[in-house]
Amino acid sequence: MLVLVRRRLLQLVIVLFGLSVITFVLMKLAPGDPVLSILRIDEVAVTQADEEAVREKLGFNKPFLLQYGEWLLRVLKLDLGSSYVNGTPVLTLLSSRLPLTLQLTAGAIVVMLALAIPLGLLAARYPGRWPDHLCRIFALLGASIPNFLLGLLLIYFLSYRLGWLPTMGTGGIRHMILPSVTLGFALAAVYSRLLRSGLLDSLAQPYIRAARARGIAGWRVVLLHALRPALLPMLAVFGMSLGSMLAGSVVVEMLYAWPGIGSLAVDAVFQRDYPVIQGYVLLTGAFVIIVNLVVDVCYGLLDPRISFGKGDLQ
Amino acid sequence: MLYFHTRKSKKVIGLQAVVLILLASLAAGCSSNAAVEPSGEEAEAVSPVKKVTVIRNLKADSLDPRKSWEPLRAGITETLTRLNEKMEITPWLAEGWEAVDDTTWRFRIREGITFHDGAKLDAAAVKASLEDAMKASEALAVSLKISRMDASGQELTIVTSEPYPALPSELVNPYTSIIHAAAKRKPGEQAIPLSPVGTGPYTAVKFTPNVEIVLQRFEGYWDGAAPLDEVVYKFNEDGNVRALALQAGEADIVYQLPAETITAVESEPELRVESLAGLRVYLLMFNQQKPAMKDIRVRKAFDLLLNRESIVNDIMLGHGTAASGPFHAGLPFGSRESAQPIQIEEAKRLLVEAGYKEEKDGKLYRDGKPLTLEVVTYKGRPELPLIAQLLQADAAKAGVTLKINVAENADVYLRENKQWDMATYAILSSPRGDGGYFLNAALTPGGSINPANIRVNGLEDTLDELNRTSDMAKRIEWTRQAADIVKREVPHAYAVYPNLIVGVNRRVTGWTPGPEEYYIVTNKLDVK
Repeated sequence: MLVLVRRRLLQLVIVLFGLSVITFVLMKLAPGDPVLSILRIDEVAVTQADEEAVREKLGFNKPFLLQYGEWLLRVLKLDLGSSYVNGTPVLTLLSSRLPLTLQLTAGAIVVMLALAIPLGLLAARYPGRWPDHLCRIFALLGASIPNFLLGLLLIYFLSYRLGWLPTMGTGGIRHMILPSVTLGFALAAVYSRLLRSGLLDSLAQPYIRAARARGIAGWRVVLLHALRPALLPMLAVFGMSLGSMLAGSVVVEMLYAWPGIGSLAVDAVFQRDYPVIQGYVLLTGAFVIIVNLVVDVCYGLLDPRISFGKGDLQ
Repeated sequence: MLYFHTRKSKKVIGLQAVVLILLASLAAGCSSNAAVEPSGEEAEAVSPVKKVTVIRNLKADSLDPRKSWEPLRAGITETLTRLNEKMEITPWLAEGWEAVDDTTWRFRIREGITFHDGAKLDAAAVKASLEDAMKASEALAVSLKISRMDASGQELTIVTSEPYPALPSELVNPYTSIIHAAAKRKPGEQAIPLSPVGTGPYTAVKFTPNVEIVLQRFEGYWDGAAPLDEVVYKFNEDGNVRALALQAGEADIVYQLPAETITAVESEPELRVESLAGLRVYLLMFNQQKPAMKDIRVRKAFDLLLNRESIVNDIMLGHGTAASGPFHAGLPFGSRESAQPIQIEEAKRLLVEAGYKEEKDGKLYRDGKPLTLEVVTYKGRPELPLIAQLLQADAAKAGVTLKINVAENADVYLRENKQWDMATYAILSSPRGDGGYFLNAALTPGGSINPANIRVNGLEDTLDELNRTSDMAKRIEWTRQAADIVKREVPHAYAVYPNLIVGVNRRVTGWTPGPEEYYIVTNKLDVK
């Protein structure tokens, strides 16, 4: 296990370095730079000479490798720099947005589990019968309703028509419900199907027949014997979707005025705010790698036959 | 037996670990909520506070007035000069000013004003604030051109680095908000970005970046304390959600309602919709670096091909005014003429006069090549691509083929490519009650919103005069003259002034939206 962790940490450094090089190259290749945003050309009369002066001052005219090298040196000193557009340190920006994104992600996971596990269990327990059909209809809905539409519908009925929940903003558990449901609903659709097929697979195994032969019946077999192996494929997908949840909740963030890390990144990309983009890429890169490490460790815990790092020890 | 035992404990540990991770992530979410929630709900429960909720369409991540307009809009800070309802520059924190010579201005700071922290507003405080702002904002330093300031009592002398008559207009800029610059240096107090110490009728008691500002009345406001206890100033970028929040009674004033939600909002008896001409203009920019567009007859032809009536009625759904120049009629120097109707035949005649021949297929040709032009547009303002499409259809009737190119980042595309012929564009043509900004930035070579480096014949002299004149009435006269030259030379074709659409709950009193979108939370804002 320790070998695995050590190897993954080394990987983390290499992957982050690669990521930062690639994003830096892509950013510089993309047309435009943050100077127009810095000088706020749509509000203030400046000349193209002023723009050039700012470009010179910020070092955008320096050779590419030199710019990257300077950035990398600062990062090694744990200094991610400051946003070009509003001057706030990147670390402050990320740390002020990350908790909100984590809250939203956690809320979505809870909604996802609360929907996916019962539905998946029911569907696998009664395949081909009405709980299974219900689960299938739900999965179809979840997969086909886009985020923004579901969000608007929820706001329309639960906030406007019934007045139960606030339409937007952050603050309490009540503010979290709608965004979490919006984000968790589509995920639940996928996971309930995954769980169903995983369960059906494991229910067809000889050891289940053996368990049934021993007289263990009904739900007991499903929950105690079939569920655990069925969780493995879910866990694999979970590791990946957690990464996309962090970055991909932009639509939900916009609808509910939930200032998470996704909208920070999108704004930064539009304004070509290089330090913020780089900081964001490093953060999400590290997060995805760590989550996948945790997932790998969980594999071993769920199924002791799976183990990592043995080859290195021999 | 032992074997089974260890297997089992491993199993338990495994499940526990998964459960623990989930619980931990949940707890992370809930614990911070639990800390925040009671304060908000308790505050509502204690006494019926007089409160208004405003929702803006653009978010703000900072309350630093040197970098964000929101502190001024939210009534936290104020500037030396302001715009009145007629969009004229009037005194605010400065009670008057005069030009001593070409580069020297004398401002008299109003007596009896205190900052939120009780400090007195005098010329020295204004000087410190402006110096601070220029240090913090590149854009401001460039636009104010201040080289030196002297403060004595309530009198502030400003020396500019060059003759700069537009200074009073530039001081309308919310970035020049006067804050108590010394306040942020006191130990133990929050720095500016969280709560600027201004002079406005409200102070910020809570700020969640990009979500909301909670404002509380400032009892010591110089112009009479506000009647409301609290104003909640929220941000949401989704138009439909803003409209629903207004309908649900969660908001009293909502900016930029999407045109398609207006009928639903108006059907509720307690709500009304205000639609007024804003300070922006949608226009067609011509790239005179291309030989075809150098010919004024070609530019005039496209001016005639713009169907302004259809743009207003079909694209803007009636929430706009057809444009007849860069500045709309509500401005002191705005265009008073009516907008040009579409004239396809006349446009065709001009193009033929410019040397294009109509062939059998109905298209115009020159030297055997069909007249095909590229028009650049972008999606940032959803109406612009539609305007480009409308022009494409009408140009086809005159025998011209237009190719539409939707650029991801139009500002950059227009600068880095020289091949485009026309571009749809949106410009805030008079952000501070003065036309100088637009004429200098959009119609002078080297200006920041002049990607094609347009030089307008005959404009230079008039603009020089304008840039030298400090007398307001004379400035208006020069701006009018400049606008006439622009009309004659057609460097742009002005399409429409889009409206500002604001939804208001009828319980709100003492408040109407202004086209400048600066003075939103005021000491007059009240509820029934």
